[in-house]
Amino acid sequence: MSDRAADAAGLGRPRAAAFMAPALLLITAFLVVPALWTLVLGATNYRLTGLAAANPQFVGTGNITEALSDPGFGWSLWLTLLFVLGSAIFGQSLAGLSLAWSLRSAPKVVKAVVETLVLMAWILPSSVVAFLWVAYLSRHGGTLNAILQTPGTDWLIQHPMASIIVFNIWRGTAFSMLLFSAALSAVPPSQMESARLAGAGTLAQLRDVVFPHIRGHVLTNTLLISLWTFNDFTPYLLTAGGPNHATEILPVFIYNRALYGGELGYGSAISFLMLIINLVIALFYVRLLRERR
Amino acid sequence: MSPQAFLRRVGFVLFLAVVTAFWALPMLWLVTAPFDAHPGLTVRWPEWTLDNFRRLSESPYAFSSLRNSVLLAGGAMILVTVFGALAAYALSRVHVPGRGAILYGMLLLSSIVTGTAAMVPIFQLMFTLGLIDDRTGVILVLTGGLLPAAIFVLKDFMDATPRSYEESARVFGASPTQVLRHVVLPIARPGLATIAVWALVNAWGDFLTAYILLRDPTKTPAGVVMYTFYSEGGQANLPLISAFSVLYALPVVVLYIFVNRRYGFRFHGGIKS
Amino acid sequence: MGEIRIEGLTKVYSGNVTALDRLDLTINDGEFFALLGPSGCGKTTLLRTIAGLEVATSGRIHIGERDVTKMSPGDRDVAMVFQDYALFPHMTVSDNIAYPLRIRKVDKASRAQTAARVGAGLGLNGLLERRPGELSGGQQQRVALARAMACEPSAFLFDEPLSNLDARLRLEARTFLKGLQHQLGVTTVFVTHDQAEALAMADRIAVMEAGRLRQLGTPAEIFHRPIDTFVANFIGSAPMTMLDADLVRGRLYVAGTTIEQEVAVRWSGPDPSDGPVVLGIRPEYVRVGAFGPMTVQATIRIVENLGATVLLTAETASGDRLQALVPDGTQPAVGAQVELSPVAERVLLYDEEGHLMTPAPQAAPAPA
Repeated sequence: MSDRAADAAGLGRPRAAAFMAPALLLITAFLVVPALWTLVLGATNYRLTGLAAANPQFVGTGNITEALSDPGFGWSLWLTLLFVLGSAIFGQSLAGLSLAWSLRSAPKVVKAVVETLVLMAWILPSSVVAFLWVAYLSRHGGTLNAILQTPGTDWLIQHPMASIIVFNIWRGTAFSMLLFSAALSAVPPSQMESARLAGAGTLAQLRDVVFPHIRGHVLTNTLLISLWTFNDFTPYLLTAGGPNHATEILPVFIYNRALYGGELGYGSAISFLMLIINLVIALFYVRLLRERR
Repeated sequence: MSPQAFLRRVGFVLFLAVVTAFWALPMLWLVTAPFDAHPGLTVRWPEWTLDNFRRLSESPYAFSSLRNSVLLAGGAMILVTVFGALAAYALSRVHVPGRGAILYGMLLLSSIVTGTAAMVPIFQLMFTLGLIDDRTGVILVLTGGLLPAAIFVLKDFMDATPRSYEESARVFGASPTQVLRHVVLPIARPGLATIAVWALVNAWGDFLTAYILLRDPTKTPAGVVMYTFYSEGGQANLPLISAFSVLYALPVVVLYIFVNRRYGFRFHGGIKS
Repeated sequence: MGEIRIEGLTKVYSGNVTALDRLDLTINDGEFFALLGPSGCGKTTLLRTIAGLEVATSGRIHIGERDVTKMSPGDRDVAMVFQDYALFPHMTVSDNIAYPLRIRKVDKASRAQTAARVGAGLGLNGLLERRPGELSGGQQQRVALARAMACEPSAFLFDEPLSNLDARLRLEARTFLKGLQHQLGVTTVFVTHDQAEALAMADRIAVMEAGRLRQLGTPAEIFHRPIDTFVANFIGSAPMTMLDADLVRGRLYVAGTTIEQEVAVRWSGPDPSDGPVVLGIRPEYVRVGAFGPMTVQATIRIVENLGATVLLTAETASGDRLQALVPDGTQPAVGAQVELSPVAERVLLYDEEGHLMTPAPQAAPAPA
């Protein structure tokens, strides 16, 4: 009986269409069209300046083949893989889970303080946190060096990938923490208590009671934050891809080549590849969500 | 307490201490340096002063960028809320053919066509339309990216609102416009407020869209200006950067506290609480 | 003026779901009319179609002199009270009551005056500036009623008006609603799934099932002479006892007893055809002891105490179950062998298809 519940205000179809029009228009213009446009633009050798700007040529899959043989692209892909693995799949997930787990039994004040700190790291604007870490990791006068007693270490130069991975963990754990917090509170306490009474230690409890309940959440969460991390541009604000391409993850690679270097056709083809990867991850995620239901 | 339990306790406390330090330390600079007469990169007890804020006006772009941020974020907030609410209401109440597909399609689209993946085509698109270096363009792009999620959440919210209010008004003779004005809008206010705040915060923190679409430094918002402050060559102007960071970050922090107090942190993710 | 006439009303939803099936019905002006039936029978759909919230697939609706079938809800001059009252939470009680007048562009002062007057009539005096959220369930209901009354419509439509109240309040509200309707004299149609409610409040009842009208009549008619076994089963706080019986050459064989033709003909009507039938008798009309033409030997199996009355469930030698409702203090113990006698004037006979065979009595039935 879905018909009966509809149209309570008597809008009627034409007005409903008018209501949806502005939103659909914007979404089409700035999501659908760009997605399709990567395909079109990526098949040309369009550049911002020079001959190719005035007279772009159709190169078909030329850009893709160029990308596949471009060592810069391969390197960038590798770095991105490291970044997503280290920061999202292992970093944020584990940190989020351990935080959620520990805070369950922490005193209220401690819980509030830690949660607020972790959340702040997430909601502060990206250029602010980027500078905070630039200052933190700075060679002369950085607080990290002061604490670790390692004066003169330029973290962003000497350990660039490690730096941005740790930075991203710091920045993004909040989401996983909240998600696991909610998932853990949904685990029936009676099951936990039965396990504890049977003598199970923390690790055993985690393995036998908690994990089966949250396994679905772990998977979907990991997919989601992987997707976000894969598309994250923020490391640019710390290193701009340097030193010497050492942290040129894919978003930064695209920016440097296409928007800074002006190779729009090439950059478009790579963006297209990125969209495909995003699509695969997103479809996986939706599939998993549906299964979980 | 047994030695095992004691060790476990110690480990627990240690863990929380490390975690707290890890998260707090980088942020400490933000609460010390802006109030320090001679701020350095290291966190230290400040020589208390508010001078750094007063001197913000010396920078040509500090306040103008904040104004731009207000413009961009406010514009995106208004468009997302209004267009999103209209679309969500129509999708919720009227039997539009294929509305399930539209909704999920939209949501999928917004997760796939991220700012990063779309930066090249959007740049080229705006370039062709002559909308480079135009703040309206930025507002439109931001709105387009935020709308799908907003519509999804608002539609959910509308679905949960009983239709009897609208039907009641209708039987009393209210026209559809009157029903919307008298009944729907007031009742939907909490949902609309949440989305408005969410859109505002997202747009306020945006970097990439403004970075690629705006050239004129008098038009760039705080996020981009902040980056130029510390990335442009030469010695970083720490009094400027620190004070500016606070002003740029403050609205978001305030809004978070406000929303948290009012509504509790409603978490929209894998699980809704 | 407030007469509602429904002709051939049909409502079919997409997916071939027939919610209303060629309904013909006339609700008299000033009547308190109930639409009764199990969930899914179409009673709420009918109410909403009268209101205009649903559009009929075919058929006509007349309110008063006007054909309102194609009219929008606001033009039909009806007022509807929803199950959840639908009081606008952001408006005060006074603004809620005055809302229909606001739509009619009555000026603010007159609106407030009318709201105060109507509200006072329903005992809402001190509450006019409150918000609905601050009121109790009973108060909310009265505000909803006041709002419906404020625009002085030709008809009231109530969707399950009492189901949101708790049990004790419900009975008080029943009395209140009945009195109010009588006082106002406005045609009122209400939907309920509670047969006791319908019997208590309505002037006439329409029993519906699967989009069709099963029986239309006064509460007395429906209670004493349900037109088929469906209605018989639906009506009555204790279910009607249905016993399988056989008519053979005018004689009725039931529950191990034989009813001779002279008596059986009163129940089966003249010239019944032989065959299986169903004998229906309400527990309220079964006595302990040997009275009347039909006496059954049975053993008491279950005794249920209902306060002032006791419900007995007994089993005959033939394996039939018979129920009797007796005054408290007169009930036999479990296991006792008793004789049970239905009141002859209340016995009903239903044919194989479940239709009522027993003809209507010539004079008013003897008091039970």
